[in-house]
Parts: sequence; structure tokens; C-alpha cells
Amino acid sequence: GPDLKVISTLSVGFDHLALDEIKKRGIRVGYTPDVLTDATAELSVALLLSACRRLPEAAEQVKSGGWTTWKPLWMCGYGLSDSTVGIIGLGRIGQAVARRLKPFGVRKFLYTGSGPKPETAAEFGAEFVPLTRLAEESDFVVVTCALTPATHGMCNKDFFGRMKKTSVFVNTSRGAVVNQEDLYDALANGQIAAAGLDVTTPEPLPTDHPLLSLQNCVILPHIGSATYATRSTMAVLAANNLLAGLRGEPMPHELKL
Amino acid sequence: MWYHKPVVNEELLQSLPNLKVVASSGVGIDHLDLKLLSSYGVKVASTPFVVSTDTADLGMALMLASSRRLVEGHQMAVAPDTEYFPADWLGVEVSGATLGIVGMGAIGYKVAERAKAFEMKILYHNRNQRKKEEESAVGAVYCKKIDDLLQQSDFVLLAVNLTPQTRKLIGKRELELMKPTATLINISRGLVVDQDALVEALQNKIIKAAALDVTYPEPLPRDHPLLKLKNVIITPHIGSATKKTRWVMMEEMAESIEAGLAGLPIPREVL
Repeated sequence: GPDLKVISTLSVGFDHLALDEIKKRGIRVGYTPDVLTDATAELSVALLLSACRRLPEAAEQVKSGGWTTWKPLWMCGYGLSDSTVGIIGLGRIGQAVARRLKPFGVRKFLYTGSGPKPETAAEFGAEFVPLTRLAEESDFVVVTCALTPATHGMCNKDFFGRMKKTSVFVNTSRGAVVNQEDLYDALANGQIAAAGLDVTTPEPLPTDHPLLSLQNCVILPHIGSATYATRSTMAVLAANNLLAGLRGEPMPHELKL
Repeated sequence: MWYHKPVVNEELLQSLPNLKVVASSGVGIDHLDLKLLSSYGVKVASTPFVVSTDTADLGMALMLASSRRLVEGHQMAVAPDTEYFPADWLGVEVSGATLGIVGMGAIGYKVAERAKAFEMKILYHNRNQRKKEEESAVGAVYCKKIDDLLQQSDFVLLAVNLTPQTRKLIGKRELELMKPTATLINISRGLVVDQDALVEALQNKIIKAAALDVTYPEPLPRDHPLLKLKNVIITPHIGSATKKTRWVMMEEMAESIEAGLAGLPIPREVL
């Protein structure tokens, strides 16, 4: 559409936008950062807990009658107490995740990204490490980075191979940050204990996708920001971004191209 | 003993004349008749503190899973007939909501510590008020009357132990005092709740939802209405279910037994 002036996206991610082309045509872009931080961070922690304590699996055992007698090691998961949590991408959402995980008895926070953020990291005593070390030392890995050419397929065979057998991997960023075949192999072969994914490639996964068959993989339908309050706020913000763009005025949240 | 079996009654005690110590897993001792055991000269020990963290974690997990519809969402994501994810499929945020903790013991307090990081407003009801420093560390407000807590909370979490005083603590009256948008989370004991009243309250939308790690009995009979309600998550009493904790519980029980048999003071003795 040659008359297109404004694109207003209901997200903080903009990996789905061809920014070069957009910039060339002088089109303005509005997006919705900040307002979805809490809901998404909360969902990341919810997913982490559901995966490490095997919630959907356990709930299913109750319904299906698989719960017969009780045994001490039945349905045991992994606790957060004394654990090391590795955050890939200590941005707004990553920080909000760390804040929520702190009182669960996490002993150490590690993080990685394009560069260290000492002021931000100080709140959690988080240490900036290379991706490889984060994989090796973390009991819980949470991916909250943006999808860029640098992060595309970043969580791959090498990454999962370095992780602990008892570790849990959580992705609430974008499906394409993860090499899904490698993740499947790691889960199926016991290289990592469990995974929680709010995002996949594609969404939804095709019905015969191997990840869907794994008991130790909790998959959610991309609901990071899916609450009544947050989506309403996002919608209003997106509308205001759009209107401001059409009027040639400053947007509440414009993406700098 | 693990998970309140075998049943310790007169018959069992008479058949075990040399019994000196009963070491029970977990912190709950509602399944033990302490007077009876004492009359046979049998000492009792439990594993009270090691279970606190994992149980508090599970309480949070249930609250989050319920509010953000995790179990439902997972089922949708893996279902063969799901073609797309509807844009208007929404949950409710836990962050910033009001949590009412009934029973602010070791476990209840740890839940409060976790909830604070989600910027929740925390109310609590307890036999006794906690110290000011403890309250302010988590921003918890004491509700001397449970009614006040029930009326203001978006999430009501039960972390009391089961005693004659707390049996059916939450019944029809209490459920009706709760908000119609509220969720009941139970990590204590099934009998703390009037289960039939709960079923009715959920069916008639008196409260919004429930998330239960404990029921009565466990497991529930296959045709129980709680198993069919869409707005209920039930987990099979996994509050302390991490390998690490279960191993420590085992070690603690063995330690208590050894001390008892040696005639030494028993660690974690229940008096």
C-alpha cells in the first residue's frame, strides 16, 4: 500500500517488521514496551514453576486415574532453593523475571547479552557471563531476549549439550531463538530435565511435531501478555500510537528506525 | 512413615510392643493420635522445616497456573485440533492483586515473601499476630477476623495445619464472603475445606476457581465432581515433591529414629 503512513504493533517485539523497507518508505512505527513487562515476566515465572514442578503432568495424573498410591519419589520435580538462574537478555522483562525469582531462594543470577549492564545487574548481584558459561552453570535458563540476527537459533545443540541434566529451560522470547530439533533431542535424551515454551516456530506447532509428544515439555499458546488488564492497555496504546502517527504528532511509544 | 500410612491405631500399637519411635514425613501430624502414642510410650518426630520452601513454591505455582490458565493453555497448545491461538484468550494478572494467607506459619510466611516480589498486597489471618518486623518485611497486614481477609482477597491461600479448630474452616459461609472473582488455593489439608460446599460454590460461580494440592480423600474417587470442573486444578499432594527435599526428609527421619533408639534427645520431636 503506497499510502501506508503508520504501522502500530501490539507487541514490544518487532522482529516481524522489515525495518529497512519501512524506513526507506518513511513509514513510522509504534509499539507497546513497558506496559506488558509485568504480565510477561509473571507468565515466564509461572511457566518455569509449571515446568520444574511438572504441573500439567501431575494434574493429568489426577484426572486420568494415574494417581493410585503415593510414593516418595513419584512426580518429583526440581526446586528453586539454592539454584543458579541464567537469564538470556536482561532487558525490562528479564529484570522483572529476576525480581520475581529472587525470594524463591535463588543463590545466584547469571546473565548474558550483547554487553554487561552493571547498574541493572547490581539489583540481583547478577554476573555477566558468556552464553556457554550460562548454559554450563545454570539450573534454570530463562530466555527473554529480542529476536535479532545475532540471537536467531542461539539455543542449539552446543548450548543444550552444555546444560546440566537436572536443568530446566524456559523460552518466552521468540520461537526462532531456539533450534527446535536440537531442543527435542536434548529433552528426549535426558540432556536437560524439562522445558517450558510460550513461543514456538510456527505457532501453533503442527499436530505431528515431536515436541508435542514430550511429557517434560510444557507448551503454552503465546500468552505472555495475555491478561485483560494488559491487553486493554496495549490496545489503547497501540490506537494512540496510530492516531498520533496519522496526525503527524509524537507517538506515546515510537520505535526509532 | 510416609504419607500417613500405615494407620497408627490401638491394633497396630498392640502388635508392636517394642515400638519406640515413629518418624513421620512432612510437617503435618493430623494423621497421628499423639495421646494414644504417648500412652504406649512411643515418641514421635516429623520433618517440619525442610518442606517449607518447596511447598511455598508449589502454592505460588498453583496460584499463577490458575490465574494465567496454564493447564488449559498447555492443553490448547498441544491439542491436535488447535488451528490458531485466539487473540482474545486471556487470563488475569497475579501481579498487583491481593493475596490473603490463612495460616502464617513457616510455609505461609514463605509464600508471602514470594508474593511480595509480584507486588501483591498481602493480608493474613493467624491465631497470633506476627512480629512487626516480620510483617513489614513482606508488607503483610493482619486480619484478626478471617471475614475481612475473605472479603478483600483476590486469592485466598490456606496454609494452616489441620486441627479440630481448623477442620472445615472454609465452608459455605466463608466461600460466600469471598469475591466472585476470587480463587481458593489449598496447600494445607483437604479437611480444612468443606469440600461439598466448595463444589457447590464453584458450580454456582460463588467463587471463580480453585487450585488444590490436597483433597479428601486422596486420591478423589473417579467420579468426583471436583475432577470434572473446568475451573479447578488439582495436583496429587506434591507440595514437598522435589528429589532433594525428599532425600533430606528421609535422612531426617532416619536420624530421629536412631536418636530415639539410642535413648538420646530426638531431633524434631513432636510433643
